[in-house]
Amino acid sequence: MSKEILVEAQNLCKYFKVSGGRMLHAVENVNLTIQKGETLGLVGESGCGKSTLGRTMMGIYPPTKGKLLYQGKELDLKNKKDRFAFAKKAQIVFQDPYASLDTRMTVGSIIEEGMVIHKMYDPAKRRERVAELLDTVGLNREHANRFPHEFSGGQRQRIGIARAMAIEPEFLVCDEPISALDVSIQAQVINLLRDLQEKMDLTYLFIAHDLNIVKYISNRIAVMYLGSVVELASSDELYAHTLHPYSLALLSAVPVPDPEKEMKKERQVLSGDVPSPINKPAGCAFSTRCIRVCDRCRQETPVLREVMPDHFVACHLV
Amino acid sequence: MAKKILDMDDLHVSFDTYAGVVQAVRGVTLHVDEGEVLAVVGESGCGKSVTAQTIMKLNPMPPARIASGKIQLDTHNIVKCSEKEMQNIRGKEVSMIFQDPMTCMNPTKQVGKQIVEAIKLHRKLSHQEATEEAIKCLRQVNIPNPEERAKQYPHEFSGGMRQRAMIAMALSCNPKLLIADEPTTALDVTIQAQIMELLVELKHKINTAIILITHDLGVVASVADRVAVMYAGKIVETGSSHDIFYRNTHPYTQALLKSLPSPDTTKNIRLASIPGTPPDLLAPPVGCGFAARCEHCMGICREEEPDEFDLGNGHHAKCWLLHPDCPSVEERGGKL
Repeated sequence: MSKEILVEAQNLCKYFKVSGGRMLHAVENVNLTIQKGETLGLVGESGCGKSTLGRTMMGIYPPTKGKLLYQGKELDLKNKKDRFAFAKKAQIVFQDPYASLDTRMTVGSIIEEGMVIHKMYDPAKRRERVAELLDTVGLNREHANRFPHEFSGGQRQRIGIARAMAIEPEFLVCDEPISALDVSIQAQVINLLRDLQEKMDLTYLFIAHDLNIVKYISNRIAVMYLGSVVELASSDELYAHTLHPYSLALLSAVPVPDPEKEMKKERQVLSGDVPSPINKPAGCAFSTRCIRVCDRCRQETPVLREVMPDHFVACHLV
Repeated sequence: MAKKILDMDDLHVSFDTYAGVVQAVRGVTLHVDEGEVLAVVGESGCGKSVTAQTIMKLNPMPPARIASGKIQLDTHNIVKCSEKEMQNIRGKEVSMIFQDPMTCMNPTKQVGKQIVEAIKLHRKLSHQEATEEAIKCLRQVNIPNPEERAKQYPHEFSGGMRQRAMIAMALSCNPKLLIADEPTTALDVTIQAQIMELLVELKHKINTAIILITHDLGVVASVADRVAVMYAGKIVETGSSHDIFYRNTHPYTQALLKSLPSPDTTKNIRLASIPGTPPDLLAPPVGCGFAARCEHCMGICREEEPDEFDLGNGHHAKCWLLHPDCPSVEERGGKL
């Protein structure tokens, strides 16, 4: 695989204003690089900022602080022209296939819309592209004249993927594309995403909370907790040598479809809930739930550092 | 032999709609013994929730209709029970926890009061005693500061806490059977692990039988004693957890397990997906419901419904491949 860096986040922060003049720190100081052609998995519990990070990295939200670089060039997302040009290269597949398709547009016009906006091809060629895309994602050409409500969840997710692919992006953010689907349909969509990546040399940021799926599809995995990346490593390395206590707890919490292994497994159950991102604990964000917590964790925020080649951890104890 | 708490025989449940009759449950036979966890797995729309809701008669009738079949819950014949009798059974003999802990509590009432309400309805206790009992229930599900928490409203609880409070409420009258309908689907994995651990702990402590409805085979593997796999309104395979995971015989069970990546699945293996979608239960297929998506489908599968074959030790499967006259898959040129 080439080592060319496609997207890079430098000290990326995204805050939201909430009532009472307080700030919700959704994403805090994230440094992340995504190489061309790879799949970077992003995992974490709900509310840890993984969707916000995904949306910030493809330009839906302008970052509060920090920089976003695409192919080495800094993006100015407040500049409309830049944002428009970036939208041509970065696309997103949303989690909920029932909410992310306009119910009053035909499938054909949903898929075509991006090409119209970006003034790609003439109308005849566009219709041909729509038919091709429907073929690629495993739907019928005739489906172009139907409406989204006529399709099942898995089929709708395919429409969402076809829409994202229509303008030939280089970078695709998959924001939990399979969590709303049934098990037997999940495998269909995962296989489709892998085929498309091979065919079109796509780069994925794959957000999910199903760790088995993430391990299967990703080259590298970033584990997020309360707005920060706490561990980053290749997917095999992360599972073989888990270092951060949060990653350990997260991995041990995932049930494996195998009763023998489940019986033998030593499960480390985390107590309590994720603290609020409005009032983050001082020091390490995980210190309130960590079993190995010490005084230093409560005072000093750990930074992400390379402890082994290509294995980054943010923890004082490693 | 353990005592049967629930005995369901050939249950058919239909819904009369404008589009026609939806045959949601098409002949389900199952039983639950005292103190065991039965997991019912299947895709959405396969009838697993309807089966469970019918045990408590939670579906409004009409449009729902128990077309035929028998449900025996301990000493009660549920099918024949009137609404008044059902009110006595619900909460006391059988109770349920739901998927979404955000929407199934009364947002205008303190959590403790909601539990007290259930206790006073079924047990002859004074208000003071019921309040103490409610706090005891909350403590049992590991809610810290139960005295304080009982006075709070559901919105002050986090998702995991709310699910704990739901479990406390469901167990407050010591039911013989607890139905958990996707109890962890809306929760994060770390919270899911907490809730599953709690359910197993409570099962040992109070010996309640549990029906766990889920589509997550990982959860099934971690807690279930027996498993029933449902497809298109029927149970296609049932057996002990080991039977289902290691000695499964039905092509649907096999396909379902194969389509999941385990931590050992390497990247160069392609996930086995099941082509197509489940059948429409407005017009259920003649013969085997899975025939259209099955890779071993034979002529007879589309014409006649498969019999149930006994594979020993309570392991049953409904598939023509198990018929003694059926040529083995290898002989027909396929591979399992």
